[in-house]
Amino acid sequence: MSTTLPLVPSLPLILRGKLADVVGDDHLITDPDRLLVYESDGLTQYRFSPSAVILPGSVAELQEAIRILHLEGRAFVARGAGTGLSGGALATEGAVVIGTARLNRILEVDPANRVARVEPGVVNTDLTRATRPHGLIYAPDPSSQSACTLGGNVAENSGGPHCLKYGVTSRYVQALTVILPDGSRVRLEGAGRGWRGPDWVGLFVGSEGCFGVVTEIEVGLIPEPEGVRTLLGIFDSLEGAGRAVTAIISSGLLPAALEIVDQETIRAVEASVFAAGYPTDAGAALVVELDGVEEGLDAELELAASCVREEGASEVRIAQSDAERTALWAGRKRAFGAMGRIAPDLLVQDATVPRSQLPTVLRRIGEIGDRYGLTIANVFHAGDGNLHPNLLFDRSDAEELARVEAASREIMEVCIEVGGTITGEHGVGIDKRGYMARVLSPEVLQAMSEVRSALDPSRLCNPGKVLPDELPARSELPNEPLPAPDSGPIEVESDRHASELLAAASREGVSVAIGRGRSSGAPPGPHLRLSARGLRGVIDHSPPDLTVTVGAGTPIGELQEALRASRQWFPLDPPGGDDTTLGQVLAEGLGGPLCTGYGRLRDHLLGATLVTGEGRILELGGRVVKNVAGFDLLRLTVGSRGALGLITRLTLRLFPLPAVDRTLVWALDDPAEAARIGMRLAATGSPIAALEWIAGPGSGPCVGESASDDAVPAGALVAARLHGNRPSVEAMVRTLEAAAGIASPRGLEGEESVEWWERRARREGTGAVSVAISSLASSSESVAEATRGWVDLGGRASLHLVGGGVRLDLDPEGESAADRARAILDEVVRAGGVTPAPAPELSGVLGVFDPAGILPGRWRESWS
Amino acid sequence: MELRAALEEQKDRLGHCVHCGFCLPVCPTYIQLGDEADSPRGRLHLMRAVVEGRLEPESDAYQLHLDRCLGCRACETVCPSGVEYGFLLERARALAVEARRPPLPVRLLPALMARGGARSVALAMGRVMRGTGIPETMAGRLPTTGVWGRLGLAMGMLASSRPSRLDAGPAAPAKATTEPRSDPPSRGRVAMLTGCVQSGLFAHVNRATRTVLEVNGWEVVEVPGQGCCGALHAHSGRLDQARDLARVNVSAFSAAGVDHVISNAAGCGALLRESGELLEDEAAEAMAKGVRDISELLAGEDREPVRGAPLPLKVAYDPPCHLHHAQRVTTSPIRLLESIPELELVPIPGAEECCGGAGIYGITHQELGGRVGRRKTDAILTTGCDVVATGNPGCQMQIGAGLLAAGESIRVVHPVELLAESYRRAGWG
Ligand SMILES: Cc1cc2nc3c(=O)[nH]c(=O)nc-3n(C[C@H](O)[C@H](O)[C@H](O)COP(=O)(O)OP(=O)(O)OC[C@H]3O[C@@H](n4cnc5c(N)ncnc54)[C@H](O)[C@@H]3O)c2cc1C
Ligand code: SF4
Ligand code: SF4
Repeated sequence: MSTTLPLVPSLPLILRGKLADVVGDDHLITDPDRLLVYESDGLTQYRFSPSAVILPGSVAELQEAIRILHLEGRAFVARGAGTGLSGGALATEGAVVIGTARLNRILEVDPANRVARVEPGVVNTDLTRATRPHGLIYAPDPSSQSACTLGGNVAENSGGPHCLKYGVTSRYVQALTVILPDGSRVRLEGAGRGWRGPDWVGLFVGSEGCFGVVTEIEVGLIPEPEGVRTLLGIFDSLEGAGRAVTAIISSGLLPAALEIVDQETIRAVEASVFAAGYPTDAGAALVVELDGVEEGLDAELELAASCVREEGASEVRIAQSDAERTALWAGRKRAFGAMGRIAPDLLVQDATVPRSQLPTVLRRIGEIGDRYGLTIANVFHAGDGNLHPNLLFDRSDAEELARVEAASREIMEVCIEVGGTITGEHGVGIDKRGYMARVLSPEVLQAMSEVRSALDPSRLCNPGKVLPDELPARSELPNEPLPAPDSGPIEVESDRHASELLAAASREGVSVAIGRGRSSGAPPGPHLRLSARGLRGVIDHSPPDLTVTVGAGTPIGELQEALRASRQWFPLDPPGGDDTTLGQVLAEGLGGPLCTGYGRLRDHLLGATLVTGEGRILELGGRVVKNVAGFDLLRLTVGSRGALGLITRLTLRLFPLPAVDRTLVWALDDPAEAARIGMRLAATGSPIAALEWIAGPGSGPCVGESASDDAVPAGALVAARLHGNRPSVEAMVRTLEAAAGIASPRGLEGEESVEWWERRARREGTGAVSVAISSLASSSESVAEATRGWVDLGGRASLHLVGGGVRLDLDPEGESAADRARAILDEVVRAGGVTPAPAPELSGVLGVFDPAGILPGRWRESWS
Repeated sequence: MELRAALEEQKDRLGHCVHCGFCLPVCPTYIQLGDEADSPRGRLHLMRAVVEGRLEPESDAYQLHLDRCLGCRACETVCPSGVEYGFLLERARALAVEARRPPLPVRLLPALMARGGARSVALAMGRVMRGTGIPETMAGRLPTTGVWGRLGLAMGMLASSRPSRLDAGPAAPAKATTEPRSDPPSRGRVAMLTGCVQSGLFAHVNRATRTVLEVNGWEVVEVPGQGCCGALHAHSGRLDQARDLARVNVSAFSAAGVDHVISNAAGCGALLRESGELLEDEAAEAMAKGVRDISELLAGEDREPVRGAPLPLKVAYDPPCHLHHAQRVTTSPIRLLESIPELELVPIPGAEECCGGAGIYGITHQELGGRVGRRKTDAILTTGCDVVATGNPGCQMQIGAGLLAAGESIRVVHPVELLAESYRRAGWG
């Protein structure tokens, strides 16, 4: 574990000169003494001195430096604030450290579209400080947020106490500019920015600095929650606190944070100068934080408090002020620092297990500690099942160090055994490479390694991280004969079946189309068409964990039906509604109005099984809520439309069904006026589940009455869907009505509300011409104007008023209507204000999954 | 090497640094340079490397990066592990100066300050010079780099030490909101640290301090035996000189038999408070316990100063590092200013960041100090204030010089000057 590399190959003079020319002498450090301070990051077990540090002051300098390092064959690694806890920013192989501290400008805050553009060296809290005056925050809040940089957050896909409700970094990154390891520059955009194709942004987030250096980050912002309630429960035992977590989750609450500290931690904190006033004889303390619409919070707090009491809390404290809130959190937030005061050395572990396994795992960690005679203090994100056992020791005691290492390994084994993973948020870095083969199959490891080689053939970018040096051997590919091409769609029956078919097609060089929809396009020449429709049904549903695994051919409606009994659901309303299959939503990267309040499917995708074009079966991700073990190939499948292979199965994180489902509909004669009102509603910052502008046939004002559904209204509708408990929904109704300035909108509740949105979804995607166009939310009014002609032609249009995005359907009658429709589409694109970036030159990555070039990723002409 | 042993003894204290990096974003030198060697964590790492025998104290790295530290101790405030950076820095610097003799200007000032006679002469010359008005004229006009820049800064600092006229509303005595009791009951006896720079260049601040103390019912006792506090010496690694000076003050103040020793200069106050640790003896410990900043004594959590007459000024408060970070006196100065009727307090963005004053940092590290200072000046200028208030002579001069160089006429005063003015207008003192 302790590694020192005393002899660092020094930088050749010529290279030194070249780098100095680029960044200036003041920003090139080569004195070995000065370089000492870069030998460790937040994890001090390792020491690797770099051969040089450069601190570029501009993206151009950074790019030029990488180009030079690439030409000279010199390894390099990006470093943000060096708060990483897996050794990710360490300079192995005498690498040159590229520090981003001087690239710390916030380039833009765009409140209307709720996005910000920043340089990588911007400190996490500085971003929220800049956006708060607009009522917006950047949600991911690692405990290190006052120091860590967004570049580091992107590289590690960092989480934080509040990601239980709000999700991790990956959910918020909308676009990236990256200097690839060869010094070339790419712009990667996500679905909201006009890109339709594999989720490159998703792949790069969490890549631990191995795929290049990120130079610009565009992130989504969320309205700052109106109210917060914080509760501290004191328990006699850790089990009690664990049961309270389960009870809170089963009660249908979705707290912003659920954090536990155990007895050892409480004692450490209370013994330090940071005493937080937790009773030292307590077995555990649970912090519950709820946020949202002010009016709804007291009821939620009461519910949470009763769960905590019922599970045997000896004391419940509720914060009445900001100062008290800070005090309740103190025992949690101060834990890390306090441990520095009671033991000379500290090893922070990081692993995630299914939440329902927490009690078992904690008990076993306790046993491991006893067996090795070590103090292990647990601090953890209980809601996510993300554990941080802290092993306290003294490095100068070699024998104790050995015990710590052994205990640490055993803890990892326990977590893996119960279906968990080896890192939830700190990353693999240098520290956890050895565990990778324990959680990932040889197939997946090989795919990760090949993706890395495709992006960095010379392996100069952050070498020695993430992947083990030796990869285990993969199993043989199947060798079945190829069925006759063009014999109609083949319904795949199993992973093995898919593997046989794809391996055979690859061998024979026969093109393959996946899915039945038009989106996969028409492959050239003789081909096979595979479908996952047959892989239907729920495979595993764990209500206490809020997770489900389903076959990719399962229609959304069937999934919701299966979840209903446990009062859970997966919020999803893409075009086609409940008949659309989950595999299709994933492969096409579809979304619907509910993305506004819940995010996309990609944001809650925990795992998937992909059978690659080559016929390899890749089990990607897992079934835990936070997982950063290795590169995010899982996210890459989103929107890949068959380019990587066939997806057979998905694991999703679920949500409790909302207590109240209410829809407000305003009908207006003027579509532009409707858009303006919609934008006012968005600007309230209310946590709306969906907010749509809708025009064209089928959106008639007599909503809810199916007989009149096909009436063609002259104007447009604005529809807002609200989820929550009754007081919060009612408060939101008042806020929205006031903001709209127009009286008595039509209100629908419960089933009526559900059905109204379902009917709307079913109508989408049904036109002979059916397109989705990205647009800026701030352009909603001009988009609404631009679609007037479309509606006149008999087409339907809808628009997400919060994130932007237009959906247009039309059955044009005759050539002239078709011409006119094309012209209108151009206009809508212009009005929307999003110019999609060209597809990045990353086809080498697709080749990893489809070496024979049989899948649409290779024969498709364009992604749009 | 005895000093190395001293630093080695701090192994435990160094060990508290868990390398979390929380201190990076608050460190002015890291903010400016982006090099971790110029961050608190980096400096601690260098100290640790010396202790571990991996680095020589005379090495460029150790010398350069410790020298560049402003000693502002912003890093201490945010450290979750409670690393006593200021304490370690003094010991680490002692080791550094022992290993390599620092350049002349760095040696000169502490030497001057340690000698009463020479000090008085120099400060008197400064006052004469200031009286001519030349410094103020020169400050805004000299080039900003090289020798001229240093001179310009020195002139600006000198100019900024002069007493300010506070033009706000009717200067004529108005009626007070609360009449002070004609004969205020004695709250207790206090001694004032009159300081060397403070008494030499800021006599008006000392006068104002005395006024506000008396109006608030404190009896001020003269302590003639006191001298320079030694802060400058301690910060630059001359611990022995600092200890000698501290001993003088400890015995003088201990003999005075007062309830509190009052400081109106943050840097001196911090040293007095830490004299227990410096001297490692009980008398010093006992004296240190009674030390208060003037703002704490008047406007601590449990009390409010007597309210004087309105002073309709827009005031930006800039906390001196040695008050905010070293003494952790954060709210009292604000409460003190808020007690003045009609005074509008405006926040300075990033107020808790160092102004770059740090003793003679602006002279020894002209370029870097200038950058730190400009950041402060820019932040102040966003507030639209009439006056800046700060409770340390060094900061008053540094910020004042920065504003003069930027061609601004905003004055920099001590908070007690504002309170005293409010009392003057009420007709007391
Ligand atoms: C006390 C403490 C608490 C923590 N709490 C949390 C927590 O709650 N949640 C959590 O997720 N993490 C936590 N961490 C871990 C750490 O803060 C995060 O991983 C953070 O994102 C690292 O950011 P950084 O700027 O320090 O990156 P560094 O440590 O400097 O680098 C981390 C990785 O990012 C890469 N990198 C940095 N910048 C770039 C760039 N521009 N382009 C490409 N790659 C880059 C580096 O090469 C390295 O691999 C904690 C750490 C500490 C010390
Ligand atoms: S904040 Fe404290 S513990 Fe963290 S790196 Fe800085 S000095 Fe060390
Ligand atoms: S004292 Fe100030 S300048 Fe020195 S390391 Fe700490 S924060 Fe930085």
